[in-house]
Amino acid sequence: MAAQLFFAALCSGALYALVALGLNLVYGTLRLLNIAHGDLAMIGAYVAFVAFSTFGLAPPVSMVLAAGLCAAMGWALYAGIFRRLFATPETAQRLEANSLILFYGVSVILQNVMALGFTSTARGYSYMGEVWRIGPVMASGNRLLMLGTALAICLGVLLVLRFHAFGWSLRAVIERREAAGIVGVNVDRVQGITIALGFAIAGVAGVLVSMTEQITPFMGFPLTIAAFVVIVLGGLGNIFAGIVAGFVLGFVETFGIALTSATYRSILIYGLFVTVLLLRPQGLFGKAIQVR
Amino acid sequence: MRRFTKAALLCACMTSIAQSVFADEAGPVRIGYSMSLTGIFAQAAPSQVNAYTLWAEEVNAAGGLDVAGEKRPVEFISYDDQSNPANAVRIYERLITEDKVDLLAAPWSTPIHLALAPVLSRYQFPMVGNTAASVQLREVAPGYIWFPTAVIPDKLGVELAKLMKSEEITSAAIMANVSPLSQEIKTYLIPALEAEGITVTMSENYPPDIRDMTTLISQANAGSPDALIALSYPADTFLFTGQAKELGVKAPFVLALVGPTIDAYQKAMGTAADNVVTVGHWSPKQEAWPKAKIFFDAYSARYGEAPDALDSALAYMSLEILEQAVAVAGLDREALRAEIATATFDTINGPVKFEGVENTVTPTSFLQIQDGSLELIWPQAIRTSEFRPKTAW
Repeated sequence: MAAQLFFAALCSGALYALVALGLNLVYGTLRLLNIAHGDLAMIGAYVAFVAFSTFGLAPPVSMVLAAGLCAAMGWALYAGIFRRLFATPETAQRLEANSLILFYGVSVILQNVMALGFTSTARGYSYMGEVWRIGPVMASGNRLLMLGTALAICLGVLLVLRFHAFGWSLRAVIERREAAGIVGVNVDRVQGITIALGFAIAGVAGVLVSMTEQITPFMGFPLTIAAFVVIVLGGLGNIFAGIVAGFVLGFVETFGIALTSATYRSILIYGLFVTVLLLRPQGLFGKAIQVR
Repeated sequence: MRRFTKAALLCACMTSIAQSVFADEAGPVRIGYSMSLTGIFAQAAPSQVNAYTLWAEEVNAAGGLDVAGEKRPVEFISYDDQSNPANAVRIYERLITEDKVDLLAAPWSTPIHLALAPVLSRYQFPMVGNTAASVQLREVAPGYIWFPTAVIPDKLGVELAKLMKSEEITSAAIMANVSPLSQEIKTYLIPALEAEGITVTMSENYPPDIRDMTTLISQANAGSPDALIALSYPADTFLFTGQAKELGVKAPFVLALVGPTIDAYQKAMGTAADNVVTVGHWSPKQEAWPKAKIFFDAYSARYGEAPDALDSALAYMSLEILEQAVAVAGLDREALRAEIATATFDTINGPVKFEGVENTVTPTSFLQIQDGSLELIWPQAIRTSEFRPKTAW
């Protein structure tokens, strides 16, 4: 049972890390609290559902489609609204202060547009549901696909941050936006690409979730909450710590339930959240392992 | 004089035309309801609204609603209650006092039905409920609201234990969502199982936002029970089925409470959904209810998916009852109340008759997904197929 629990924790953690990664990238570079993040995952889930049910396209193809669609939405939002507001410190400050309300509006619009288009009836499709035995662990194909994809994306983003020039620019913008601009980083380009990337990751996460859960216009909110808990645990804007915190949350949730009871789930998650906020408001891992 | 005669004739003609137009346009019978189009119950709303819309289209296509011998078209006036009982109360008061609707249709969910009961009594406005399920329904003062559902937790617990006993189940593990319906059923199910000599090997609760059931299902498996009872809601029903398959649950009797009757469930779960038992008292397979198949076919053709065997069926039934009562009593509220309270109605779920607020004819029943269809497997009097043990996922 321990190995099965470890696999379950790994799956939960990888999903939390992936969902939080997109949110953290957007917050880190633009200082915007995207409360519609889970709704972008919902969009990704519907892309997968329509692609599979109508066109017979498998979720791996949908991941590309969902990533493209969500990235385009992110870019459009940036080019249409945010770029102009980031042009002066005053409007940028006002935008950052009001981002929660702004994205709440985006969230409501996305939910209602999808409810109008697809109704709020639950949707679902079956993909890679067969069960595989890997040593002592039983794993369904779709959960393995989810785990592999989430790990690959998290690792890919970390590698880009560590070794690619764009990653260095992104880290510079996260650390000090104004200073990055002074030393020649194209802040506008970094911000635009990062919001597109953050939205795209949310879309892919939605495709992954759609393989195992029901799809509704209102499925995004729990994902948003989970992502917020994770990035606060890791430290706002701290990409590597956010990914680690996603796995910490997955393990605390799974093994915490195993050691206590499923009814303690919320107490375990939010207890950890509040404890970290009280004892280490800078996040579980502080600045010691912050990506620099 | 000739000019006066012409004017008089013209006047008479106009009056006659106006009267005939007025007679036609006095027609629409306005039916009001609130629906949880947004908020926590929003997911369930379409299955109910679709059934209402289908009913109205069928009635209008047949020439209109028979109002004590006079055919009149029907139209709905509806508002979003945002899944909030307080909003629903305000909406129904508005429907009655400002919109002055002729009839009322039911909202979604038990709490909103319960919140409305005093409003209906105050305005003496009859309404046939539908998607409410709780023992608390019996505490509602009888008079202006009725509940056609056969999903009442105390009866359900007893009947489920009888069904399991008849299939020679000797042990059961129970995992229950902390939602009120699941907990009510669990309260009545455990003593009923013990009364039938069935051992409860595990009884655990879980929160509605649970995202992994590995621990719960593994604990249940460890006791090797004959039955695994998940008193679940749609989101966790999907999760439960997927993970029960992954963990290779061996119990031959697997029940999931709410979710398996939703069209998307079978699409998402594929073969894993086969032979899962669930709660419900309607099936298009029951030939003794000739309207059942007609409703199923019409709904499937209209919406491109099967109706929810619980919510859609109950919603449609409630309007069938209203339709038949209006045909006899017209729109007079007291006459309508008396008719609903005393008559027997022919519905897609067979005959329905109320005693107090409760439907006393439709038996508490259970469905099982068999080869992609929902079959009634309990009670024996109305079953469309025998129980099949779950031997594979």
